Amino acid sequence: MTDTAPAPADGVVDDRLLAELTGIVGAAHVRYADGELVPFAHDATPLFHHRPDVVVFPESTEQVAAVLRLATERRVPVVPRGAGSNLCAATVPLRGGIVLVLTRMDRILEISAEELLAVAQPGVTNSALATAAASHGLLFAPDPGSRTVATVGGNVATCAGGLRGLKYGVTRNYVLGLEVVLATGEVIRTGGRLWKDVAGYDLTRLLTGSEGTLGVITEVTMALLPMPPASGAGVAYFPSLADAGRAVTGIVTGGLLPATLEFLDQKCIGAVEDYARLGLRRDAGALLLFGDDGPDDVVRRNLARMAERCTDSGALDVVVAGEVTQAEALFEARRCSLPALSRLAPVTVLEDVCVPRPRIAQMVDQIDRIADQHGVLVCTFGHAGDGNLHPTACIDLADGDAEARVGRFFDEVFRSALALGGTITGEHGVGAAKLPHLQARLGRAQMDLLRRLKTAFDPAGILNPGKVGS
Amino acid sequence: MTTPTPPERRGIFTPELLDRCISCGFCLPACPTYAVTRDEASSPRGRISLMRALETGQLSDGDPTLTEQASFCLGCRACEPVCPAGVRYGALLEEWRDHQWTGQRTPWLVRPLTWAVNRRWRIRLAGLTRRHARARTDHAGPHLMLGCVERLLFPGVSRAVARLRPELDIPTGQGCCGALHAHNGQLDRGRRLARELGDQLPGTIVTTAGGCAAHLSDVLGRDRVVELSEYLTRVGVPPLTPLTVDGRRARVAVQDSCHLRNGMGVFREPRDLVSRVADLVELPHASTCCGAAGSYSVLRPRDSRRVLDPKLAEIDQAGVDFVVVVNPGCQRQLATGLRRSGSPVRVLHLAELLDRATTG
Repeated sequence: MTDTAPAPADGVVDDRLLAELTGIVGAAHVRYADGELVPFAHDATPLFHHRPDVVVFPESTEQVAAVLRLATERRVPVVPRGAGSNLCAATVPLRGGIVLVLTRMDRILEISAEELLAVAQPGVTNSALATAAASHGLLFAPDPGSRTVATVGGNVATCAGGLRGLKYGVTRNYVLGLEVVLATGEVIRTGGRLWKDVAGYDLTRLLTGSEGTLGVITEVTMALLPMPPASGAGVAYFPSLADAGRAVTGIVTGGLLPATLEFLDQKCIGAVEDYARLGLRRDAGALLLFGDDGPDDVVRRNLARMAERCTDSGALDVVVAGEVTQAEALFEARRCSLPALSRLAPVTVLEDVCVPRPRIAQMVDQIDRIADQHGVLVCTFGHAGDGNLHPTACIDLADGDAEARVGRFFDEVFRSALALGGTITGEHGVGAAKLPHLQARLGRAQMDLLRRLKTAFDPAGILNPGKVGS
Repeated sequence: MTTPTPPERRGIFTPELLDRCISCGFCLPACPTYAVTRDEASSPRGRISLMRALETGQLSDGDPTLTEQASFCLGCRACEPVCPAGVRYGALLEEWRDHQWTGQRTPWLVRPLTWAVNRRWRIRLAGLTRRHARARTDHAGPHLMLGCVERLLFPGVSRAVARLRPELDIPTGQGCCGALHAHNGQLDRGRRLARELGDQLPGTIVTTAGGCAAHLSDVLGRDRVVELSEYLTRVGVPPLTPLTVDGRRARVAVQDSCHLRNGMGVFREPRDLVSRVADLVELPHASTCCGAAGSYSVLRPRDSRRVLDPKLAEIDQAGVDFVVVVNPGCQRQLATGLRRSGSPVRVLHLAELLDRATTG
């Protein structure tokens, strides 16, 4: 720790604070009974649990501001939370305090076809916003696997990725403006409705992915795109992931930028097939799901060319989905890879390393080797087009030192990813889960800078303590 | 920071069932009570967290949130088909209520409700006054299960079935299937009643109630139980003439039975059958619970109506003549709701709709 670290938020939640919180949001929206706190002790990340002292459900920016002012005054930790579907323990209240749930703020305020943007409150789900945009003939591009559950505020706070990263980028590419409440209760509006605006530091980008450590997002302005008229997908099976990796290289260097290039290893294919029953080939070593969107004839031509590249790279079999519903079913199956893997063992711990695209096959080889070394069952799936891999350890905690072995496994996976020029997290975030590895990625000087930034936004250190910037 | 391996288990839940959930939250959008509250505690994932806290002793039996959430859950199992991890939430809920609803903690109405149908003679006695079907065939063909609620509230349904499929054997001395008990904290009795009914009706059992069908097939095995729409799809229906209203083809919506759809995967069959006699109108939320949820509408009438009201609005918007149901609980819930709101839309069981369309 350096002298730039924020002071600890060591205030307690007492009866007086509860009464004041009740005064702000109303009794029905303040929960502090034992049982009411239990569901907020965790998010979708396994192994991290800590109960808050109180859960507050505000319905307006003013209420959020009042809660934060109060929390700063009393030095009580505040952890903002959307649907709690993140995978890095970003919303686990490690130091207790207040969990601030934004699901009541779930209105879509505006969709402008003229300006190609949407304005929404943070509690709107990703799917709801996408559906609303689609009804105006517009595409909301960010597309994380959890889109039916995840809130837009959470998407922005974690800078979520998804299945369309290669062509469309990730959440940060679509955030035009934010309304954010700072820890002190001040409300700021960064960016706005403009495509071009370089007035001042780009705080919008800094806040995107800040995981609730710098402020609470109370409104987002997101860029939309014209809805592509057609889309399609195909599946290629390969003897091994290395072959699939070659196909990816072939596709990208061949002048194609597909909307989607996803892969599953053999164990994932089996688990997904058990759930979705799409008739996937279980005997293949790897599956590549490729897809594109655009004008109908372009999509068809691109899919045919991708299929060709797959065949050239030694695919066992290539199938281009005949109908939209078939393609959608394939994507839905890919989105549920992680939960489907839970059929294999009681606990699934997944990671999110990202490496330069040409290094994917190498990274996968290393993951398998390290998994064997530590005796851990690991299934890997991910976004081949982005170099983003999700090695998932399937373990039974009752099995002796399984948790420790998984810890050692991932330590080594992170080291390998960094050595290949990659990063410890591509799209899930740092949260509590990867904070111990952050310095290896950023170095000392940058870690110190993060802490100074955090202090500037949150002098009392109340916002999501124990995460990035702490 | 991280909790170690969970402490001792109390043995309230089957470990494999409880361990399945990975808390991904994919169930949240499917849950009607989460839709109403937006509070994690009233979502399937939140309730499983509560079950885990109960199992490990972090929460005590009398914890008010446990009591409230065990009873606030509709038990519709809409979370099951959307769960990629394959969590059997319905089974967990039965185990939860089996533990939770003992002694003082049982909602008071549960006891008279389940008592009324505990014994065959009580059902039969009550049924004496109702004109449900009674047909003894001379062969041991498939048996029609009368269902304790349906034979009392909607005796016309079994009469319609008897006309559509005269080969069905319909003994009057049959008991309750025990679904009501299993869903209300009397798991052992619920299973025992199902087995007894299986003995009374050997071979294939045809049911007109989605809730009973799912429970029976859980206990007796899927191969013993055929829900009516499945049966008619398999064996056929008499010649049908399309139904007309004011000289045009009737417009009919289908409301799914939660347990039939989520527990048994049956939802296409009723729609296909309706399409043969009318224009099928798909309600936007046909697959979500109407709030009847077995005994729920009796135990928690206010919450039941909160779930029902948006559905009534949808039916009103759809401009249909009939809503077809495949479960007596839904039939009562929708009929009462629509009548109260002054809607002209009539509620019919699938059997009644098809019976009306039968020629000759």
